[in-house]
Amino acid sequence: MHIPDGFLSARVALGYAALSSLGIGLACYRLRVQRQHGASALLGVSAAFVFAAQLVNFPVAPGTSGHLVGSALAAVLLGLPGALVVMTAVIIMQCFVFADGGVFALGANVFNMGLVGCVVGFCCYRLLCGSAPSPTRRVASVAFAAWCATVAGAASCAGQLSLSGAARLPVVLPAMLGVHALIGLGEAVISSLIVASVLRFRPDLLESSGAAPARPVASAVSAGLGLSLAVAALLAPLAYRAPDGFSRVTHALGLHSSAEPAWLGPLSQYGVPGVASVALAGVLAGCLGTLLLFGLCWLLALALVPRPPRSTQPSRVAVEASG
Amino acid sequence: MSPIHRAPAALKLGICLALILGLAALPAEHTLWGLCALPALLLVCALARLQFKSLLLRLALAAPFLLGVASLSLLQPHGLEASLGLLIKSAICLFTLQLLASTTPLSELVQTLRRLYVPELLCEVIALLSRYSSLLVDEARRMRRARTGRTLSTSRWLLWSALGNSIGLLFVRTVSRAERVQVAMRSRGGA
Repeated sequence: MHIPDGFLSARVALGYAALSSLGIGLACYRLRVQRQHGASALLGVSAAFVFAAQLVNFPVAPGTSGHLVGSALAAVLLGLPGALVVMTAVIIMQCFVFADGGVFALGANVFNMGLVGCVVGFCCYRLLCGSAPSPTRRVASVAFAAWCATVAGAASCAGQLSLSGAARLPVVLPAMLGVHALIGLGEAVISSLIVASVLRFRPDLLESSGAAPARPVASAVSAGLGLSLAVAALLAPLAYRAPDGFSRVTHALGLHSSAEPAWLGPLSQYGVPGVASVALAGVLAGCLGTLLLFGLCWLLALALVPRPPRSTQPSRVAVEASG
Repeated sequence: MSPIHRAPAALKLGICLALILGLAALPAEHTLWGLCALPALLLVCALARLQFKSLLLRLALAAPFLLGVASLSLLQPHGLEASLGLLIKSAICLFTLQLLASTTPLSELVQTLRRLYVPELLCEVIALLSRYSSLLVDEARRMRRARTGRTLSTSRWLLWSALGNSIGLLFVRTVSRAERVQVAMRSRGGA
């Protein structure tokens, strides 16, 4: 999702740079107010952790592998302002050391992977998690938050590309969303695995990162419903997509199997039979798919978290021994 | 150390930004003028004695995104010219950025960022990141080797859960390393 230079028009790049600097400035201010000392050491080494974790490839399909972006994971582990600073530092370093993502498009990249990823991931996690979550609920929320963060970042990237005239929105939005709905699945699984293992080794780390005052949220069900509606609203433009143009390109490129969001497969082409309005059907299908995904996240969490929660002492011994 | 390597980082960053801004502002029908920058860039590449082959290899790493977006832009009116223009523009920008990245150490760039009023905390985090990233990447690689040494089964679920476990463990180690770093910094009079 690193946009290189040359794709964004000057207006769009400068506008997003201004937005991102505003966000980063706020995050730095919050961190300075919250903690006087020692913040930079933890954040710096955590940024190196995110960088190292991004290099670990995981197999997606035979022959292809994906890697973590980690904005939702960082938001869960470090809190929102810390995660913002960490992701920004990682993106800046990738730009200036590896020329990955443009220097002029830096603001847009920080906006997509930093601001949008962290804020969406953190909000999803907080909303679903509530104030005193069980380990299962925590892991399920992390999985869902990671997926939402990836898809939201992709949507924002598509918006920037179409705003600067690189491609038309009805073409680029479904392409980006479709590919990243798949990539997000990998991100969700690996993030929840990481959080599950951190929960096993050092559960106190996750407690302390949620130091922000957790407001009592009504219930997980209502939050999940609200979120699915929000995601569905995000996905609604899918209903308007130009099927011939997009499928022509994807067929020409040989991408047609990977570019379709697989989890919406049964709802053929976003049209639920019996619903007259195309847009409404799109929203409904996106909603159903998101709910289905939420259920899958919950199942994943059930599989990951051992039923009678083990006491932390033996596993900490195991950590020392395996080191 | 070539003269390009020795030039101040602020100057290089400024020229790079000006060139990329100029290319971005170039109207679509005059994109070919962007190719005028190519001889100068090649001259810089030769002066800095960079390996042309490795630069091209790194250019190829960014190719999927470039080609993907360029093919999507085929679908608008005058699509062919637009997507060719985009490809030329972004390839030149990428080449410029790679020249900057391979001739300028990150520490000098951080100094420049500091002078540009980037918040002190962010600069410090970038400096620490560049210091510790190779260390943590090595640690991740070591853990990966240990895991492949222990894991005999090739089941996919086991592979994924082992990956997640080792990254989780890496985070736990990161936090304890950060505590040590903080103590070391404070005992030397730092933050």
